[in-house]
Amino acid sequence: MKMLLKLAFRNVFRYRRRTVITFSAISYGLGLMALGICLYNGVNTHAMDSIINNQTAHLKILAPGYFEEKDEVPLEFTIDEPQKIKSLLKENMEIQGIESRILFQASIISGMDELPCLGVAIEPEVDPLVFKIKDSITDGSFLEPSEAGIILGSGLARDLGLQVGDEIVLRMFLSTEDFIWNALDMEITGIAKTENPTVNRMTVFIPLSLAQEALSLDKRITEIAIRIKDKNQLLDVKDSIQRSLAALDTDYEVVSYKEYASDFIELMKMRSRVQVLIPLMMILIASLGIVNTMLMAVLERTREIGMLAAMGMRKMEVMLVFIFEGAIIGLFGSLAACVIGGLGGWYLETKGFRMAFLGKEITDKLLSFLPMEVFYGDLTAGTLLFTLILGTVISILASLYPAYKAVKLDPIQALRHVG
Amino acid sequence: MSIAKLENIHKVYHIGKIDFPALRGISFSVEEGEFLSIAGPSGSGKTTVLNLVGCLDKPSRGNIFLDDKDITALPTSKLADVRRKNIGFVFQTFNLIPVLTAMENVEFPLILEGRHESKERRHLVEEILTEVGLQDFIHRRPNEMSGGQQQRVAVARALVKKPKLILADEPTANLDSVTGEEILQLMLELNQKTSTTFIFSTHDKMVMDFARRIIRLRDGKIESDQKANAQ
Repeated sequence: MKMLLKLAFRNVFRYRRRTVITFSAISYGLGLMALGICLYNGVNTHAMDSIINNQTAHLKILAPGYFEEKDEVPLEFTIDEPQKIKSLLKENMEIQGIESRILFQASIISGMDELPCLGVAIEPEVDPLVFKIKDSITDGSFLEPSEAGIILGSGLARDLGLQVGDEIVLRMFLSTEDFIWNALDMEITGIAKTENPTVNRMTVFIPLSLAQEALSLDKRITEIAIRIKDKNQLLDVKDSIQRSLAALDTDYEVVSYKEYASDFIELMKMRSRVQVLIPLMMILIASLGIVNTMLMAVLERTREIGMLAAMGMRKMEVMLVFIFEGAIIGLFGSLAACVIGGLGGWYLETKGFRMAFLGKEITDKLLSFLPMEVFYGDLTAGTLLFTLILGTVISILASLYPAYKAVKLDPIQALRHVG
Repeated sequence: MSIAKLENIHKVYHIGKIDFPALRGISFSVEEGEFLSIAGPSGSGKTTVLNLVGCLDKPSRGNIFLDDKDITALPTSKLADVRRKNIGFVFQTFNLIPVLTAMENVEFPLILEGRHESKERRHLVEEILTEVGLQDFIHRRPNEMSGGQQQRVAVARALVKKPKLILADEPTANLDSVTGEEILQLMLELNQKTSTTFIFSTHDKMVMDFARRIIRLRDGKIESDQKANAQ
C-alpha cells in the first residue's frame, strides 16, 4: 500500500502543468464554495441577530389579533396590564430583559418637510437589556426616562438634514383611517445608526410614558418584548411564558422572532437552494478536470500499465494507483480551497462585505428586503472540514472511471502501445 | 525437470472478421537452467510464444504447463499470481517505472510479492544491482541512465525475486551492438550463476550466438530446435 501511495504521489508530479491546472480548478471551485457557505451562514446569523437586536427581540407578547395586523402597527390591540405580566415573568430565570413598547405610525415634520416613519415608544431604563439601540447611538445620547427627547434613525436624520439639538414636530397617528393624530414638539437627543438599514431609515424612538400620554393609551401598550439568555432555549421559554400567561387567564399570544421574520427566513431558504447549484456546478467542473487528467494519464501510461500487469500487479492494485492519484490531487486541491475559504472567510468575518460597491441603486433595492448593510461571514471549522472531505471524495469518485479504464486494458495490447 | 512445457499450441488472433493463425501446433519443453532463444523472422510467432509462456495470454488450443502444472485453464487473476511469483520479464523498451529510482524499480516486484521485510528487500536489491554493475546508480531515475543501464536495471528487476523463468522479448533490439552484447553476457552469467531459466526472442544473429538452444519458428511452426554452442 505504501508503495502504491508513493507511486501515485510521484505520478501526480509527473505531469506538473496538467496537475497544476486540475489542482487550481479544484481549489478555486471549492474555495469559492467555502466562501459562499461562509457568507450565507454569516448573513443568516447576522441578519437574524440584526432583526432580534433592533426589531423583534427574541419573543414578543401581543394582544390577540395584533400579529395578523402587525404591518399596520395598530393601536386597538393592546395589552392592558403589562405590569402584571412583567412581574409574573420576572421569576423566569431564562429571561434577560423585558420591555413594554408601543409601535405606532408617525411622521416627522421639519420645516416644510414631512416624512412618514415608525414610532417606537420604549422604556429607556430597560431597553438596553432587550435591544441594542443604545449601543448604536452615533451622535448625542440615549433617551432618559424623564426626558421628552427623541432618537432618530440615521437614515431618517440624513434624509431630513437633521442633527442632535434640532427641533422637530412628531405627528403621531391614533388612527390612520380616521386621520386622528396628535403632534409633539421635540428636540432630537440622539441619532441611532444600527446594523439594520430598515430601522435607520424609518424609525424614531421616544420614551414610553410620553407616547402613552400623547396616544391616550393610559397604561396600555402594544407589545412586551423579551430577550432570553440562551437563544437555543427559545421554544422552551416560549412554552413556559405561554403557560404563565394561561395561568393569568389571558389570551395574549407569544410570538418568536422566527415567526416575525418568517418572510426573511423563507427568502434565505430560497437563496440557499439557489446557492447549492453554484457550488454543484463548480464541483462538476472540477471533477471533469480530474476525469480528464486521469484519462490522459491512463492513455500516456498505457505501456506502463501493461508492464505492471505483466509483473503480476493485481487489477485492484493498478486501480488503487489511479484512485490515489485522484485523491492526492483532490486532497491538496481541497486543502488549498480551505486556505482560500479560510482567509476569505476570515476577511468576511472581520471586515465584512459592503454592498455599497454595487452602486446606490442596487444597494437600495437589496436593502429594502435585507436587514443589514454590511454582510459579515460566519466561518466555521465545519465548513472547512466539509470542503476538505467533499473535494477529496469527489476527486476519488472522478478517478474511478479512468482507473477502471486502466484495468480493462489488455496487458499484451498495452505493452505494444506506442505512446 | 521441465520448467515449461507447451503441447500442441495453437493461437488464432481475430482481427476484425479475419482469423489470423499466429501459432499452428507447436510443442516443446524447457528444462531448468536453459538459456534458450526463440528465433525467427517478424510475424513468425516469437512474441506470442513468450506471451503464452509468460501467462499474459491464453492459447486457442493445446496445453501449457509451468512446473508440471497445467496453467491453460487458470483464470486471469490466478495467472497474475503465477506471473508475480514465478516469472520475470525483460522488455525490448526496458519499461521501467519512470518516477521510481533504479533501487525502487528493482524493489517493486519484491513489494508486490510481499514476502520480505523492508530491510531484507533493500539488501536483496543492493545485492542484485551490484551484480549487474549498477551499485553507483541505485538512486538514479530511468531518465538519468543510458539505455544499457536501464536494461541492466530491467534484468535486475526480473531477477530479484529469484523467479524460475525469465522471459526477454528482443532484449537488445533497442541497444547498440556493444551494449546489447554486454547485456547478453550479463544474462548468460546470471543464468550460469543462478541456474535461472532464460527464454528470449530475437531475430538477431549475434543474440542467437549466445543461446545454448535455439528454437526457430516460421509461420507459426517450429522449423528447427537445436542445441547450440555457447560463446
